[in-house]
Amino acid sequence: MKKIMRFTAILAVCFGLSFTSYAQTPWDEVMMGRGEICAALIYEHSSWDQYWEGSYLRENANIGTFTRQTAMPMIAMGLTKKINLIASVPYINTKASGGTQAGQSGFQDLSLSVKVDWLQRQLGNGKLLFLTNAHFSTPVGNYLSDYMPFSLGTGAPELGFRGIGGYKMDNGLVFRASFAYLWRGQTEVERDYYYENGSVYSSFMNVPNALNFHGAIGYWAFDNRLRMEATFMSLNCLTGDDIRSYNRPQPTNKMEVSQVGAWVQYFIKSDQGLGALAYFNQTINGRNVGKATTIGLGLTYQLKVY
Amino acid sequence: MKKLKIFYKYLFLLTFTVSSCIEETPNYYEFEGYGFETLDENGGTWKTILVSTPTQINIPQPEATSSAAYQGELNAVKQQMSGLTPSQTEAVNYWTNNPVLRWNEIALELAAKYNLIPGPNADGTYTLPNPANPVGPPSFPFAHPPYTSRMLAYLSVAQFDALVVAWHYKYQFNRPSPYLVDNSIKPAYSPSHLPSYPSDGAAIATVSKEILTVMFPLEAIYLEKKYQEHLASLVHAGINVPSDITAGNIIGTEVVKLAKQRASTDGMAKAQTPKPVSDSIANAAFERFGWKWQNMETPQRPVGLTPLFGKVKMWNVPTVEEVRPGPPPVPGSVEFEKDAAELRKFASHMTISQRRIANWWEDGLGSYTPPGHWNKFAKEAIVKAKLNPLRSARIFAYMNTAIMDAGVACWDTKYYYHYPRPIETIAGFKTILGTPNFPAYTSGHSTFSAAGAEVLAHFFPSDAAQFRAWAEEAAVSRLYGGIHYRFDAEVGIAQGKNVGAYAVNRAKNDGAQ
Repeated sequence: MKKIMRFTAILAVCFGLSFTSYAQTPWDEVMMGRGEICAALIYEHSSWDQYWEGSYLRENANIGTFTRQTAMPMIAMGLTKKINLIASVPYINTKASGGTQAGQSGFQDLSLSVKVDWLQRQLGNGKLLFLTNAHFSTPVGNYLSDYMPFSLGTGAPELGFRGIGGYKMDNGLVFRASFAYLWRGQTEVERDYYYENGSVYSSFMNVPNALNFHGAIGYWAFDNRLRMEATFMSLNCLTGDDIRSYNRPQPTNKMEVSQVGAWVQYFIKSDQGLGALAYFNQTINGRNVGKATTIGLGLTYQLKVY
Repeated sequence: MKKLKIFYKYLFLLTFTVSSCIEETPNYYEFEGYGFETLDENGGTWKTILVSTPTQINIPQPEATSSAAYQGELNAVKQQMSGLTPSQTEAVNYWTNNPVLRWNEIALELAAKYNLIPGPNADGTYTLPNPANPVGPPSFPFAHPPYTSRMLAYLSVAQFDALVVAWHYKYQFNRPSPYLVDNSIKPAYSPSHLPSYPSDGAAIATVSKEILTVMFPLEAIYLEKKYQEHLASLVHAGINVPSDITAGNIIGTEVVKLAKQRASTDGMAKAQTPKPVSDSIANAAFERFGWKWQNMETPQRPVGLTPLFGKVKMWNVPTVEEVRPGPPPVPGSVEFEKDAAELRKFASHMTISQRRIANWWEDGLGSYTPPGHWNKFAKEAIVKAKLNPLRSARIFAYMNTAIMDAGVACWDTKYYYHYPRPIETIAGFKTILGTPNFPAYTSGHSTFSAAGAEVLAHFFPSDAAQFRAWAEEAAVSRLYGGIHYRFDAEVGIAQGKNVGAYAVNRAKNDGAQ
């Protein structure tokens, strides 16, 4: 198990926001061993035909079905047994089936993440776990954040700190909860006046900070080769405005999302080789985001370099 | 583990470093009250727009500064000034000694707040905002560019006329400011010898609150609050006594009556037509030219935006036909295909600079519209030139009447020629800007901007080239956005310049030069 590495669900909710960017396992308990490197490529398809305008769930025929596809290369390595580094940069394409507005494509945000294993202690019939993850992400390229819902991301740097607690039972059951505070910076837009509950004379928008929760109940089968999880995720911006009536969203919006999902991953047992993963997520509630259904498929390749 | 702690320390440090370079996001233009470049002592003789002559409005003869009544007022001012709360001090700093600019900003903010297009009902129909039921839904108004241009024109004209009348009486009665009568009063702004009776601030506050309440009826409470704050600030700043303010209010109230009278009969109430009228306008164009514009949204909007805004009474141009350009190229003609090919090229090879220009000038739904953008330029130029409120209002009045006239002229052209948009004529064409709900030719951005630029170029000759360059950029931005052909923009610029020249000619003859 210590040799394995897992990649996370990409949360392409929120009209496609930078939740995508801290993609690797910020919220799980899995670590890679020293000198191990894992490269992965994940394809994700996310779509919605309803979105929340504030708290009002609506359709918009001039968007129709909104689709966001992501191809995400990712690389992770075990610096030591207790410290893992992860980097990723997704390439995203957005389009709408209705209306006449052009979709976008390009690289979104480069994300760098440091995950630390602080505690593994036998307790009863299992192990008590505690880890932390710190990540930083920043836009690459010059995509325009102020072109929602088509924009590739919020266009702002993000710094996140996460605590991960878990209990892994000897029989393969895992219970896990992680909690993060996401500090978001500003995004530069291409106008110097905008409305956010009043006039703002600036070409910078404040992207609201957010709290992010992940919970999972998992089970390891076939001698720790197959991992299956039922997941729950929520993200709540702490400030921000609502999308106004029949108006477009903007990076200042107070986005909230709750989503349930499932995750299956096949791991290799040797030092080197291919693995695979698949996941599904359904948004069940939200605010100023699309009600997205997401599937992801990925291949992983692992090797040991030292 | 120790290394890790150091790493986390650095991460926190990074957080603070990044936090410290956060850009400000102010809610209004930050400037301080300034000393006026001129006082325009003869301002009371300038030609007004709604008022026939200043003496049409009467205010009482003020009490002499030596009178007991005035001395009592002075004492009240001193007493109030000695116990200002932090929020009162903040209000004094906010309003400045040129509150024309603040009321203009409030107008722009309300434009942005109400510039929301009504969405469809569940059954696919659309409900239009109704002034008789402003709460809606949809709420009234939809502050689209024609609406906003007209709102700003009435606001600025009323402010200008009220100030001309105020100036007339200021220099008739010559009552000095409180701080010149009693030097223990320290004014919040640069001292000036502008007579304080009647209060120019109060006149501006009254006309602004009243006009904006007519234009944005749901904002009555908000506007009343701003009005009261503004009036209180005049005393708290030490620049007016209460009787100055009362006299200013009288002038404002009388000017508002004239403005409301004109507004109620200028044709705006009929600008948004029912479907049969709209259809007959479209059919007339189809019979004349062989084409007609259609809304491409889903569900389709049955009527374009204000088909009869072109019939609304203009300010400076006698008849709209004299500023109506000739016809655009026939769709499918060589000339048309050249410009259509250019749009396809922009869309498929958009540079960052082109994208920036498209977005910078979009001023679309949810914004203060292109007229708002030009008001922002005017405000900044006025502060830079340190103009007094009267001269500021004059610039806004000529610019905003020119901009509204440009809107009227442009809308007349739009619905006369009823020319289709690029998304209609170019198969599969996708745009980075939303296509508006009205015909293409001529471009509204181009006409609004050229008219605004011509007026600003006249008033600020040293910046003339800059204003005209901005108008050109606003025009071409619509090509990058994929929603106008080059001929829409070029003819729109010519039309806007033409309309703007009428306002400039009027300004040249109003006695203020």
